[in-house]
Amino acid sequence: MSSSYSSPLLRLGVVLPALTVLKLSAHLAGVSDVLLHDHQLSSPLTSFSQLQEGLYLFRHGIDPYNGGTFRHSPLLLALFSSVLPSSKVFMATLLALCDAVAAWALVRTWRARQNVPSSARDGLVAAAYLLNPYNLLPSLALSTSPLESALLLLAVMFASQKKAAPSLLSLAFLSHLTPNAILFLPPLLLLLLTDPHSHLASPQKISFKRHKVLPLAVEFLLYVGVLTVASTLVAGNLNWVAQTWGTWFTLPDLTPNVGMWWYFFTEMFDHFRPFFLMVFSVHLLIYVAPLCIKFQHDPLYALFILTGILATFKAYPTLADMGLFLSMISIFPETFPYLRFPIVTSLLHLHSALLLPLFHHLWLTQGTGNANFYYASTLVFACSNGAAILDCLFAGLRIAVGKEVDGYDVVQE
Amino acid sequence: MLPLTLLHLFLGLSASLLGAFASDHQEETVKGFFGRNGTSQSTHTNNWAVLVCTSRYWFNYRHMSNALSMYRTVKRLGIPDSNIILMLADDASCNARNKFPGSVYANPGRHLDLYGENVEVDYRGYEVTVENLIRVLTGRVEPSVPRSKRLLTDEHSNIFVYMAGHGGNEFLKFQDNEEISAFDIADAFEQMYQKKRYNEIFFMVDTCQANSLYSKLYSPNILATGSSQVGENSYSHSSDKDLGVAVIDAYTHYVLELMEGINKTSQSTMQDLFSSIDPNKINSHPGVRSDLFRRPLDKTLITDFFGGVSQIEVVDEEEGVEEEAGLAGGNGEDSVSSTATAQARSFVIPGRRASRSKRHTEPISSTSTTTEANEIWGWVGSSTRTWGAVALFGGLVGWVRMRS
Repeated sequence: MSSSYSSPLLRLGVVLPALTVLKLSAHLAGVSDVLLHDHQLSSPLTSFSQLQEGLYLFRHGIDPYNGGTFRHSPLLLALFSSVLPSSKVFMATLLALCDAVAAWALVRTWRARQNVPSSARDGLVAAAYLLNPYNLLPSLALSTSPLESALLLLAVMFASQKKAAPSLLSLAFLSHLTPNAILFLPPLLLLLLTDPHSHLASPQKISFKRHKVLPLAVEFLLYVGVLTVASTLVAGNLNWVAQTWGTWFTLPDLTPNVGMWWYFFTEMFDHFRPFFLMVFSVHLLIYVAPLCIKFQHDPLYALFILTGILATFKAYPTLADMGLFLSMISIFPETFPYLRFPIVTSLLHLHSALLLPLFHHLWLTQGTGNANFYYASTLVFACSNGAAILDCLFAGLRIAVGKEVDGYDVVQE
Repeated sequence: MLPLTLLHLFLGLSASLLGAFASDHQEETVKGFFGRNGTSQSTHTNNWAVLVCTSRYWFNYRHMSNALSMYRTVKRLGIPDSNIILMLADDASCNARNKFPGSVYANPGRHLDLYGENVEVDYRGYEVTVENLIRVLTGRVEPSVPRSKRLLTDEHSNIFVYMAGHGGNEFLKFQDNEEISAFDIADAFEQMYQKKRYNEIFFMVDTCQANSLYSKLYSPNILATGSSQVGENSYSHSSDKDLGVAVIDAYTHYVLELMEGINKTSQSTMQDLFSSIDPNKINSHPGVRSDLFRRPLDKTLITDFFGGVSQIEVVDEEEGVEEEAGLAGGNGEDSVSSTATAQARSFVIPGRRASRSKRHTEPISSTSTTTEANEIWGWVGSSTRTWGAVALFGGLVGWVRMRS
């Protein structure tokens, strides 16, 4: 690795604590109060104020899933009303720790991919996660989406280290918070059964022990089942299923967010609503198989691309979902030379990052704009996400072709 | 055989007698609620007003002012516009001859503007016809008639019907080209009675020979009053020097004067209203017809007809449950559920007990779902469930750690 990265300041042991402390001091300086209700940083399913409301109702003996305002998982309800306190300061500390854990998991994944015990780029990878504003701001806004990012990165880390059970448990817990995460199961299983090392440059047909797939899948379903039982135990009845998982498929809450679903369904006639809800949900399914087949030689890359796709197309995204994707790019440096338009992508992201809060303010605070303004900025955001995903997809495939040689053309067989 | 038949007969008779005389606990609570409604014992739940001015043209300014002063009164005392049908020719305020356009004054000196703001006229101009009045009263309107022009009363509505204009012996002139007779009004009210469209009606007329207009009524629960007897004229009160017309009729003037001193909480009775009109001052003898009205006039509040006053009682849910639990007779289902509720209550977490001390009604959904939740998990409290779930989760994590 280049020596310019081996500055002592960028050692992992320095970066992680320093940025965590920085984040905590930002929270204590009152940044959280400003960001708490921001629609870009927390959705109705990840909002801290909704979590507190649900905890209040639960504490007073009222079923929080009866009203349609509380959409967090009962597991969070259980954890925050027993083991963990639910104050803002504790939430900020917890999220800072979650981010630190996520960054550490990303670094461990990086090390596993490179097959080295430590590298000079560790601190850079951690900083790429922690300093990414798409990750920093949601955790300052006390949203639970950094928790989801941390769980996914933990699942990936354990899978890279061939630890099946913790990986599947993390994914099971994540599936309880976001049912979309079940789509990560196929690439995760492939990752468990192969290795995280980079084979992008030399793709081969995958070879894995097929008979091991079913036990792992059953183990995952078992974990999901046990967590479902725990959730039902907390909630007391099965209302929570419709209120938490059902929300993703029926979209009852049309609060504006950075995704593409809400605007579409505000103007949807009731007659067509079930059909389009089905279309939007099934749409997410169509990416899993092709990605796993195309990147069978490198399932970690397939998982990475799937992260980006889900961040763009899921029902209630926040900026943290895209932040996860953009930060994960840092563990695939072999693709950097082959990215065709990284400057365009970054500028598009900068553009949308400026437009989103501006049009949101113009529409909802100032009242001089309307929903179309904000929808347009979410379209720009989706455009920039699409550009990032496409570029990474192209780069991942292009590596296999290798450097261009004069006089020879690259032709697809 | 015979003793068995006799036993069956006895059981059947006693059961039917019990059924006939047993009143539901709910009914008793409702009756008691209405009984506590001051001293008036009125059983109405909503108030409506139909205010008709049957004249048009500038020189009938005072009839417009009559109807508008009654409109002002009922609105002030709480009847909303949605419950008022105001029928006016409405050509006085914006008349070319009106020196003060956009206003209709109630007294010389122009101290009270009845038309100033927020007047909603439902039937105006040439829509004020006999046919429309009868259609409104009986509810037989075209499907295209909007809601604001319908009298959507039910059997618990008290209706105040006021008519002002030019009248005679058993008739009332409508807009100079038709007339309504006392028989028509009586038949309309009878149709309303048959269709259960009113609880009580107060019918007030301010025209010449007004008492004749209510002479033909024959439906129950109607209280009627008029401004002058047969053979007498009703006179206007006074005219304003600048407007040049009489601004209000004498009878309505004194009624308005009394009403201006009344607010929603007033306990003034109809007897006070009728007694306050001095025949010498209005130069005619007002009449009252109360034979069809079953309540005593000195117990009937003015606000029963003129106001939209609701009786509200905040019931603590605790009382209801304890009363139900105490009523061992009841029906079987009720007592079972109430005891279940009582049981559930004793196992709720302490937080709920603290909130019970405040006098507020717990939301119904919370009771039912907490009951439901507690029914599903029986004896397990919510904190036990929470810790159980956390323990399950912790156990899963520990098991996974052990495996790897």
